[in-house]
Amino acid sequence: MSATSPVGTRPSAGVHPMTLAVVRYKLLAVAEEVVEMMIRTCFSPLLNQSRDFSAVVLDARSRVLAQAERVPIHMGAMPFAMHAMHQAFAGDIHEGDILMANDPYFGGSHLPDITLATPVLSGGRIRLWVANRAHQGDIGGISAGGYSPQAREIWHEGLRIPPIKLAERGVLREDLLRLICENSRKPDDMRGDLMAQVASITIGAQRLQALFERYGAEQIEGCIAGILDAGEASMRAQIGRWKPGRYTGVSYLDDDGVGNQNVPITVHLTVEGDHAVVDFTACPDQVSSFMNSPYANTAACVNVAFLYVSDDRQARNEGSARAITIRTRKGSIVDCVPPVPVTGCTTLTGSVIIEALLRAMEQAAPEGSLAGFARRFRFVIAGKDRDGQDYIWHYFSNRGGAGGNARHDGYTNLGVIHNPGGSPSPSIERTEAGFPFAIESYELRVDSAGAGRRRGGLGGVYVLRYEGERDAILNAAGEGVIVPPYGVDGGDPGAPHDYRIVRNGTEMAIGTRDTGVRITRGDRLVCKAAGGGGYGDPRERERELVRRDLEYGYVSREAARSRYGY
Amino acid sequence: MRLSVDVGGTFTDVVAIDENGDLHVRKALSTPHDQSIGVLDGIAGLSRQLGTTLEALLARATLFIHGTTVATNLLIERKGARVGLVTTEGFRDLLEIREGTKADRYDLREAFPQPLVPRPLRRGVPERVRWDGAVEKPLDETALQRVLRELRDQGVDALVIGFLNAHRNPSHEIAVRELVEQSGWQTYVSLGHEILAQEGEYDRLSTAAVNSYVGPGLKRYLDNLALRLLSSGLRVPLMSMQSTGGALPVDQSVRHAAGALTSGPAGGAMAGAFFARQYGEQRMVTYDMGGTSTDICLIDGGRPLERQKTDFGDVKVVAPTLDVTALGAGGGSIAKLDHGGILDLGPESAGARPGPACYQQGGVLPTVTDANVVLGYISPDTFLGGRMTLSRDLAVAAIRKHIAEPLGVSVEEASYAINALANARIAEGIRAATVRRGRDPRDYALFSFGGAGGVHADMVGRELLIPKIVIPREAAVLSALGFLSSDIRHDLSAPVGKPAPRLEPGELKSVFDGLEARGRALLAAEGFASDRVRLVRMLDCRYHRQVFSVEVPVEAGDLERSDDAWLVRKFEASYRTLYQHVHEDVPGFVDTCRIAVFGMQPPLVLKERPAGATDASPACRGSRRVYLQAWTQAPVYWFDDLLSGMVLKGPALVDSASTSVLVVAGSTAVIDPLGSIHITRERE
Repeated sequence: MSATSPVGTRPSAGVHPMTLAVVRYKLLAVAEEVVEMMIRTCFSPLLNQSRDFSAVVLDARSRVLAQAERVPIHMGAMPFAMHAMHQAFAGDIHEGDILMANDPYFGGSHLPDITLATPVLSGGRIRLWVANRAHQGDIGGISAGGYSPQAREIWHEGLRIPPIKLAERGVLREDLLRLICENSRKPDDMRGDLMAQVASITIGAQRLQALFERYGAEQIEGCIAGILDAGEASMRAQIGRWKPGRYTGVSYLDDDGVGNQNVPITVHLTVEGDHAVVDFTACPDQVSSFMNSPYANTAACVNVAFLYVSDDRQARNEGSARAITIRTRKGSIVDCVPPVPVTGCTTLTGSVIIEALLRAMEQAAPEGSLAGFARRFRFVIAGKDRDGQDYIWHYFSNRGGAGGNARHDGYTNLGVIHNPGGSPSPSIERTEAGFPFAIESYELRVDSAGAGRRRGGLGGVYVLRYEGERDAILNAAGEGVIVPPYGVDGGDPGAPHDYRIVRNGTEMAIGTRDTGVRITRGDRLVCKAAGGGGYGDPRERERELVRRDLEYGYVSREAARSRYGY
Repeated sequence: MRLSVDVGGTFTDVVAIDENGDLHVRKALSTPHDQSIGVLDGIAGLSRQLGTTLEALLARATLFIHGTTVATNLLIERKGARVGLVTTEGFRDLLEIREGTKADRYDLREAFPQPLVPRPLRRGVPERVRWDGAVEKPLDETALQRVLRELRDQGVDALVIGFLNAHRNPSHEIAVRELVEQSGWQTYVSLGHEILAQEGEYDRLSTAAVNSYVGPGLKRYLDNLALRLLSSGLRVPLMSMQSTGGALPVDQSVRHAAGALTSGPAGGAMAGAFFARQYGEQRMVTYDMGGTSTDICLIDGGRPLERQKTDFGDVKVVAPTLDVTALGAGGGSIAKLDHGGILDLGPESAGARPGPACYQQGGVLPTVTDANVVLGYISPDTFLGGRMTLSRDLAVAAIRKHIAEPLGVSVEEASYAINALANARIAEGIRAATVRRGRDPRDYALFSFGGAGGVHADMVGRELLIPKIVIPREAAVLSALGFLSSDIRHDLSAPVGKPAPRLEPGELKSVFDGLEARGRALLAAEGFASDRVRLVRMLDCRYHRQVFSVEVPVEAGDLERSDDAWLVRKFEASYRTLYQHVHEDVPGFVDTCRIAVFGMQPPLVLKERPAGATDASPACRGSRRVYLQAWTQAPVYWFDDLLSGMVLKGPALVDSASTSVLVVAGSTAVIDPLGSIHITRERE
């Protein structure tokens, strides 16, 4: 990687600093507007509740210039999909074309995430792209809503869409749209959501076109160079403050989906001057379950980890990636090759990749490090509601604690490092009114937080009683029952997840890969969420804070004594 | 004579409109430790200005509306009451669990915000109401007595009672209040279902907790002020401004303390709406640019748009509120080069202390105001009516050191860039506010007020292709003026929770009739005859299993209809405006009936100024050098001297004691009969 322009110099292209500052801000505003349009126009309740979508503005070389901050794990992955789509139609791209893809083996992450992009041309050349990505509720495959631990090859997971043109010169390919929608269990939702994606990037492209009319292609090109240079300079300045050396970080998958537990994800991080090499070549081979991560997803995880440790938000563009080299081994679990399935990559494997890299980074930059967060342990319940209608209920509540850091205790009930504090959990009252459930309690889980000078955030205990007349089916897909959120610098790990079905006084643990579990009237699901990991030696925690934690019931008397020496 | 007082961070504004429609204004310094001192200072100052006494002035008042930041400050500074929570056993941590969200999702190293009620003061009691309102477990009164006793012993001075599904069946919450009253414990009590009569336990709990947290302090303040005003001669009841843009008598306001949190910005929006009605503008967007932020609000059909939810950092309040969006860009926003060397603005602000470098109060970092001083847009001599002399040299030094030299450009180029970036920020903020509502900014007129707004308005209008800009002469006291255009307003709601096809015939009518009767009774008790009552009815509707509701306006005639076709049609129309599609053949789900009842004040009439000649030279006070990509000499006019009908061609400057207005080349400014400046552009 070559050296870059020093901080604070004017970009070489001779763009006025005012134009650069204003154009950069406008590109951000366009990305935000695309997301805002999505929020307003998306169709499926799941999407407009979870807001699982993102938007970016990229240059002609598929480099992200601006992104709307929504789902961190989407961001670093978009350039790969953009690149694959652009390559597929190079030389045949026109104004009003809309490219589409979801295939992880063509730059995608997993099949439910569909990426759409439209070009912005000026002077007959592609100058910019505006793209968005949305997680679709259903994309076919062997189980509703994706996330099937049973999948053994990518075709089990749903419809693969290699790069195609959904619209040509502004004319939508209605036949293609039908083909795609009919491959979803929710064709109307799919159509509505895709149309929302189309509408929002079309507006984005119009805004960008106006920018070209106002500033001219030459100035905008200069701004693109300037924005990327600044992103790179910023990231290099950040890495330059780290301790040089070679560091190893390891975190473990609970289960690789084919019978192996405590599977290590190992990363070697080399910090040299203002450049970092992130080396995943020691990771194990790919597996035949959905726990594989395609390269784009792995790169996105690296992006997320650097983002969290960085204190500079302006670093969020592709220029910053120039300061980082990623090495993987083809055919490994973090750079899989066809035909293995991948759906677990964003929420399950992704968290573990991020954790491994954070563990390496904490050695180079301890002040920015974070102890472990609760992992995602999702399940759905499918059955008939009080009116006899089919429903699929997604467990969105009780996401677990965040890890502590050098200055503060972790957040309580924030959960999942790949998308912390995102969508609000649905209310208990709405859940009870709409589904045949009664929620018996939802409280903090005592002693769930990893002890530390700065402890983790607490997880909760969520107890659901099933009241349906007919039995229902529970399907799980999760992580974090075996491997707890890690502690840092002498801090304790948090308590791992512990979900059970209690039936007539007997308890059955719910495994992270259990599917087709029958639940019956009167069953109680007792979901104890993981707490965050602790940071630093618990015995160094201020006595006043331990006293408060004890008074508040965050820790038991026994834990205060044994872990904190109180 | 109508009087209003708006307490801001720095100044307390007093506005009086006499029987002739003449407007009198007075500014006094705010007194944060006891805002009532500044209020009385201001009124006393105004009485001297009018050659009368405080007592005589107050005795003349036919209406007295007050907006205070007491509740807001208690919440923001976390100095509220020691609140105890009584809730359903098994759910005492919901306030701390929140909904699993975090305001800033990318800074994962922030301190966890403790909820307003700490865990030892959150107590569960055995009781349970089911989703349909049936009692599954009766309230355990023995346990409750013990919990109340213990909370009292713990020094609690306000209570929140919040049970699950109490919006369906509030009997347990009511029983707790009765028990508290019977025990002789005189404490401030909020019941979840009364504060917010709708589904969503976290929304009710969080809002009720805020209510009890700020209620006792607001009560002390307003009771004390009311007493002082009464003893100084006020003969009408003190009215307290609400976030809805309506006013409430003190006792009501104190009970709904969470409704007073954004009364100041609401006043500004109400003033915008008042002017929109005066000018016959159907759609206007107001922007109030102050020292640290810019408040944006859309006015449609002469009324400000409303919203139901407001986040104060990590604390959520669900209550009807004028939809004023705060953007983190103001005169005090600090300009800097980011780590990559590109010019950026904020989010840091120099605030009032130390303030911009030019304030000479020790601030050394360059701000938007500094840039505007360097560019000549703001006069260093007449700022705040000459109460503060600005140093252009300090502004130049700050911009040279932190921006111009590192970028290798001149100080004026750097300043121009800062100004341009501020314009882009505000313009994109306004665009976002319109886009969020499914609207286009070009359909709006821009209404600019706040001390820092005038120098940016013309440029912001250009960015957005907004054809018309209005800057009122009273820009500096606009919130207080807005108070005087307010009516008395009560908001009431009742849950429904049914898909439309399952509604019984006449069911909605009977719910609305019940709300209307309650609303009319409240206004009657306040002395409003029925011909001075106005009603607005709304339904919150959504598709089943969706999370967000849309607001559906309901007319009295709708409720008389025998079928629900009107409901489908109106729901789909509202939904389509926001979301650009509908789900045909899917019935709507009715969440909540809401009603706002207004006790109408006599309309506010401002005295118009006689029209004169178009020649503005009598109001000209010389000229100033301004930088508009080149230095040029621009005439300077004095706002108060500009008469109706006068015309200014850009480039021109208008100064007043509280603001400066920049009219750029290609724009024309005309003064209207109310003294406002209207800026239009020649066709581009």
